[in-house]
Amino acid sequence: MQLDANTSMDLKIVSLISVGKHPTSGRARRAEQDGRAVELGLTLAEAGRGKQNLTVLHAGDSQQSALRSYAGMGLESVRVIQLRESADAVSPLTEYLRKHVPDIILTGVRAESGESSGMVPYLLAEKLGWPVVPRIANIVSIKEGVAEVLQALPRGQRRALTVRLPFIASVDNAAAEPRQSAFGPANRALMEQQQAGSETDTVRSEWSELPARKRPKRLKVVKAKTAADRFKAATAKPQGSGGKVLKDKTVTEQAQAIFDLLLEEGVLR
Amino acid sequence: MTFEWLHPFLIATALLLAAVGAVRRVNLWRAGQPESVDFVAGLMAMPGRYLHDLHDIVERDKYMSKTHAATGGGFVLSLLLVVLVHLFGVQNQILAWALLASLALMFVGAIFVFKRRLNPPSRLSKGPWMRLPKSLLAFSSAFFILTLPMAGVLPEGAGGLLLTIVLGVFIAMGLSEMLLGMTWGGPMKHAFAGALHLAFHRRPERFGGGRSTGLKPVALDQRVLGVQKPEDFKWNQLLGFDACVQCGKCEAVCPAFAAGQPLNPKKLIQDMVVGMAGGSDAHYAGSPYPGKEVGQANGGPLLTITEGLIDPDTLWSCTTCRACVEECPMMIEHVDAIVDMRRFLTMETGSTPNKGAEVLDNLIATDNPNGNAPASRTNWAADQNLPLLRDVKETDVVFWVSDGAFDMRSQRILRAFVSLLKAANVDFAVLGDEELDSGDVARRLGDDATFQSLAKRNIAALSQYKFKRIVTTDPHAYHCLRNEYTDFAGDVFKGVEVLHHTTFLNELVQAGKLKLSRFKGGKVTYHDPCYLGRYNGEYEAPRELLRSLGIEIAEMERSGFRSRCCGGGGGAPITDIPGERRIADMRMEDVQTTGAELIAVGCQQCTAMLEGVVEPRPQVKDIAEILASVLLDDEAANDVENQLEEAF
Amino acid sequence: MSDSDYSHILRRDPRGERIARNRLHPLHSTVAVQVAETLGPSGLLRKNPHAVGFIGPNGIKRIDRLKGNAIAITGRRNAQSSQEVLLPLHQVSEPDFTIVVVPDMVGGRLTAHDKDILGQAHQLARSMEAGVAGESTGAGAVMAVVFGVSKEESFDKAGVDRLLLLDGAEYEGYCPEQQVAALEQVEARLKPEYWLFPDSVHGGTDLGSRLAARLGERPATQAWQMNTETTICRGASGSTDITRDTPRLLMLAQECANPVDETRHEALSIEWAPVQAVLPELHDLGQVAVDPNAIPLAEAEFILAAGNGITNWEQFHATAKALGATEGASRVAVDDGNMPRFRQVGASGTWVTARVYLAVGISGAIQHMQGIGQCDKVVTINTDAGCDMVKRADLSTIGDAEKVLDELINLVDTYRQQALHNQNGEKEGAKNAA
Ligand SMILES: Cc1cc2nc3c(=O)[nH]c(=O)nc-3n(C[C@H](O)[C@H](O)[C@H](O)COP(=O)(O)OP(=O)(O)OC[C@H]3O[C@@H](n4cnc5c(N)ncnc54)[C@H](O)[C@@H]3O)c2cc1C
Ligand code: SF4
Ligand code: SF4
Repeated sequence: MQLDANTSMDLKIVSLISVGKHPTSGRARRAEQDGRAVELGLTLAEAGRGKQNLTVLHAGDSQQSALRSYAGMGLESVRVIQLRESADAVSPLTEYLRKHVPDIILTGVRAESGESSGMVPYLLAEKLGWPVVPRIANIVSIKEGVAEVLQALPRGQRRALTVRLPFIASVDNAAAEPRQSAFGPANRALMEQQQAGSETDTVRSEWSELPARKRPKRLKVVKAKTAADRFKAATAKPQGSGGKVLKDKTVTEQAQAIFDLLLEEGVLR
Repeated sequence: MTFEWLHPFLIATALLLAAVGAVRRVNLWRAGQPESVDFVAGLMAMPGRYLHDLHDIVERDKYMSKTHAATGGGFVLSLLLVVLVHLFGVQNQILAWALLASLALMFVGAIFVFKRRLNPPSRLSKGPWMRLPKSLLAFSSAFFILTLPMAGVLPEGAGGLLLTIVLGVFIAMGLSEMLLGMTWGGPMKHAFAGALHLAFHRRPERFGGGRSTGLKPVALDQRVLGVQKPEDFKWNQLLGFDACVQCGKCEAVCPAFAAGQPLNPKKLIQDMVVGMAGGSDAHYAGSPYPGKEVGQANGGPLLTITEGLIDPDTLWSCTTCRACVEECPMMIEHVDAIVDMRRFLTMETGSTPNKGAEVLDNLIATDNPNGNAPASRTNWAADQNLPLLRDVKETDVVFWVSDGAFDMRSQRILRAFVSLLKAANVDFAVLGDEELDSGDVARRLGDDATFQSLAKRNIAALSQYKFKRIVTTDPHAYHCLRNEYTDFAGDVFKGVEVLHHTTFLNELVQAGKLKLSRFKGGKVTYHDPCYLGRYNGEYEAPRELLRSLGIEIAEMERSGFRSRCCGGGGGAPITDIPGERRIADMRMEDVQTTGAELIAVGCQQCTAMLEGVVEPRPQVKDIAEILASVLLDDEAANDVENQLEEAF
Repeated sequence: MSDSDYSHILRRDPRGERIARNRLHPLHSTVAVQVAETLGPSGLLRKNPHAVGFIGPNGIKRIDRLKGNAIAITGRRNAQSSQEVLLPLHQVSEPDFTIVVVPDMVGGRLTAHDKDILGQAHQLARSMEAGVAGESTGAGAVMAVVFGVSKEESFDKAGVDRLLLLDGAEYEGYCPEQQVAALEQVEARLKPEYWLFPDSVHGGTDLGSRLAARLGERPATQAWQMNTETTICRGASGSTDITRDTPRLLMLAQECANPVDETRHEALSIEWAPVQAVLPELHDLGQVAVDPNAIPLAEAEFILAAGNGITNWEQFHATAKALGATEGASRVAVDDGNMPRFRQVGASGTWVTARVYLAVGISGAIQHMQGIGQCDKVVTINTDAGCDMVKRADLSTIGDAEKVLDELINLVDTYRQQALHNQNGEKEGAKNAA
């Protein structure tokens, strides 16, 4: 991380956090991406003047114990805009961020619980009139009010972008893993409550939410136009019936078989 | 004689300075945290503890035990008499002769110490310790000569001024080593600190053949969790560190040290002393932490240990196998200290290395270390028809399944054990999804908060039901349930016996409840799991079981209480600190020297570790699996009986 | 203008018709196939009974009981075109409503995901045309808005009725702000009935979210089943299904619907007044070159992993380089010091997600297997046909790794050289043409 003298002094960062949900147990936890947003925020703040320049902000219930697992990353406090369960979080957040304007807002890409739409950074950006950079892996440098960020593309690829402060970025899973949450600091951190007027999310209250059904895997329906195609489809080895083993074949044949598979899978570039 | 005052003066000065040193040393210990100790009882018990418990351990090395008895005994006696005879000037021939005798004893002992030091094994520290035999010899010989006139062997004043001065020098040398060194930090410190350590030991249950292996719980509302600075240890832990004689017995058995991981339990204890007293480890003259230079470490009572004194990797290399504790003649508690410092690293700084953080997160979020769905805990037993406590409410035996439930290899052990339980018609039931991880790994990784949470919830689950025994195939869970849950259990475990499956199976076999044929494989050896053997003292039941199958165990050199760890304990496979070798590979070499084709074990973790060694290697099987493979079902059993009848 | 722009226009071919009518004409047989079914001037499908049938592989004329379907396998010169002709053309002359799809166009081509979305768009269009409560909304067109240079040649078959291709310089690279500005204009002019985006990491989610925020629409995200009334979305990181009224703007999951495969579409290019260039706040500095070996193991798409069975390490590294694969290792390879620790795959190493995992000389210990549970295709080279890795692998070759790798390097080298050659050839050709 490189910061130039001007920006480093007063770089104010807000990391937005939500309550995560463990994929197998469904228990509340620190969300993977939000944890990374805090991690990146901490790294930025530590490269600058210090941790106090990072505000970790949540809109929701301050009693939620999963919030403490963010604090366990070494935060003195977590700021919570106290909301009822069904309340819409975006407007109170916007209100807060208009009052306490930071230079960088970091969020996760999608929340692990609730609607999980990933719209929060976009809505905030729209309301604040700031640029939004989705799925960043890192902030490489900040010089003269311009940040160079690395955006995560699929399969380990990266794109470099520059953006002028202030901006909002959502943090991808490719970003640095959040540091371990330690019980001691988590237990001692302060939950700074703030009251805010908020409206109920009426649209959502009309939705029904159920545990996810298994999506049927699309069958490879071969709309065979010819008898031969149909024949081929009917006699093809069903998938998942164990692999092919090339035993007493020549080395050339074996290599060719591997090569063909690599080519077919499109991993040879 | 003009210099008559010299020797008494030397003795008096040495005693005085030693007393000053003692006060200072005591103050170093008192900087630690309070821990209530029964002082009077401890002091009264001290000689007994010394003569029995400590010497029982020293006895394992006959040479050293005799040497120490002669030298130590001779010295203590001599010192008392020296004070009487030479300081207070008690003129008594008998006393003088007694002194001569004890000095002679000490002298002989010192010669053996000297001999041992001629070509010392690498585990012994050098430095000032090389000087010790000479000081012992100087002390005993000088006082011997000094006493001769009083015994009437030599005329009064013989030897003249020169002798007086020479003796003076020797005496000064001997006294400063023996008395000043005792309290100002020389090798003889072990006598002073050791005696008090025996008196005020943190685990008095260990004396008189007892066992105390459960870790002590952390009060979670403390200012700092775990040990950050030497001061954060309990005062009697600090005292314990000071008792170390740098004999290196611990180093010699430490699997992590042998594997070239950066841990040496002896150096660790010495570093604790450095931290407690302040300064650097430059004077340390023993083997270093493998791969690390001596002389770089600095510490002080108020400095964070892991910043400059000890590399966290050192602490994370430990498998908590307790081999060091078992061997230590001074009964020092290395594992307690290591886990105390790990607690700080995990619960305060959040720096559990490698997969540690992930495993702990999983334990918190899913109650099992690999993040499996909690509801899938009983999937392995879908075809087993196991009675659930939730349904039956009351049973004889609770089968504690452990996290082996999620692991395909361990499931084979679990199935084998279930088949044995069924064959013996045991009235048993399982907790099913109500069972959680025992908390073993969390605790060893320093996360006592998570351990306590798991323990309390497990206890709550158990407390709903009535049962007489808990049996488990996992020695780690066994240890937690038996030795560590008691701190939180109230009387849930009152009248309940916690057993390892080998103990329980042995009972069944000895009672004739299981019909087994003889084992027909090749040579078999048995690997003692640390958490079954050293932690719980169960060495015999597994062996008896194997013998009852007609197996003659090809014992490894390191077996029983000396068993070498497989490398799987203490979360070591999770923190995975690199070394030069793998502990499991070394254990497999131990096995291979016996020529065994099958390793019998009593632990799924050991099974995993030993099977992780690349082939070719002997087979690895849990004793339950071996038993199940020779289990005769009723018909077969009848057949065998018939055959036997026919034969006769 | 290219031919394809006129392909939908129906023209008579008098000469062809003459030949087709004259069974004695020497060219009759070739044309007859082509015109076995013709679209008459009115757009009606007409059959020529004489042209039905084909010459079988051994030269005997056979009756075609497969209604022309068999043509494909006979491999006639024009079999290719005859298949295409068979798909009926779906035309919308004056659309009454528009459904806009903004495909990802990875590498300038429609992705499978894009095609699913287009399929979904047509489903929606059809059910709207069928009408709500019997009242038809008229005919709808599916419009694709495509940014940047397109290499796609079969918009027609994917279900694109109207194509808005915005490939000016301002749409090069990552330019979501410019794209949103264009989409806003589409909104203003066409008021599309639905906006459909692929919910994907290739840009669909980003663009969809931006537009939703701009238009103040509350989008459905990760939607996997929808009709005009209700939509089912995944919520809570895929663990719940949210059933809700269908909004105007949706980001759809893969396989939300089947792609179009029974009709051909006009793919009519739309003339569009240029969108005003916005002053972007994000500047694309371009993709960062990432060495395959520098890709974090967990993200790598193609891993070549080495185990205890590797003896020639130089060759192993050379293979990884030749294949463009990220290197992985078993624990033994790491412990023996042949590979760095961060390359270790497995329980105590990294859990990988590669699409192809090529394990060389790895026995498949359970601790290793845990790490490759999420891999799509596992390929192995091993001397031991009975080892667990072979049991897991989709393709196993039993033999000495060194030899197989040698051969594999050769194959890849030849392949790359050919590819290079072809490229050069193309360039040459282009030069010559110029
Ligand atoms: C707690 C614990 C954690 C562990 N974590 C991991 C982990 O994260 N990752 C991991 O990988 N392991 C892990 N292990 C180790 C694991 O158990 C195995 O020991 C290890 O994976 C074996 O590595 P290997 O397959 O390379 O070696 P081997 O088991 O020796 O297999 C070598 C294979 O190469 C084949 N072979 C030999 N010569 C040739 C040749 N010339 N050509 C082709 N094939 C050949 C052999 O047939 C054999 O199948 C762990 C073990 C433990 C106990
Ligand atoms: S800790 Fe115990 S075993 Fe180790 S060197 Fe010191 S006295 Fe000996
Ligand atoms: S417990 Fe075992 S691994 Fe740890 S220091 Fe002692 S001997 Fe070494």
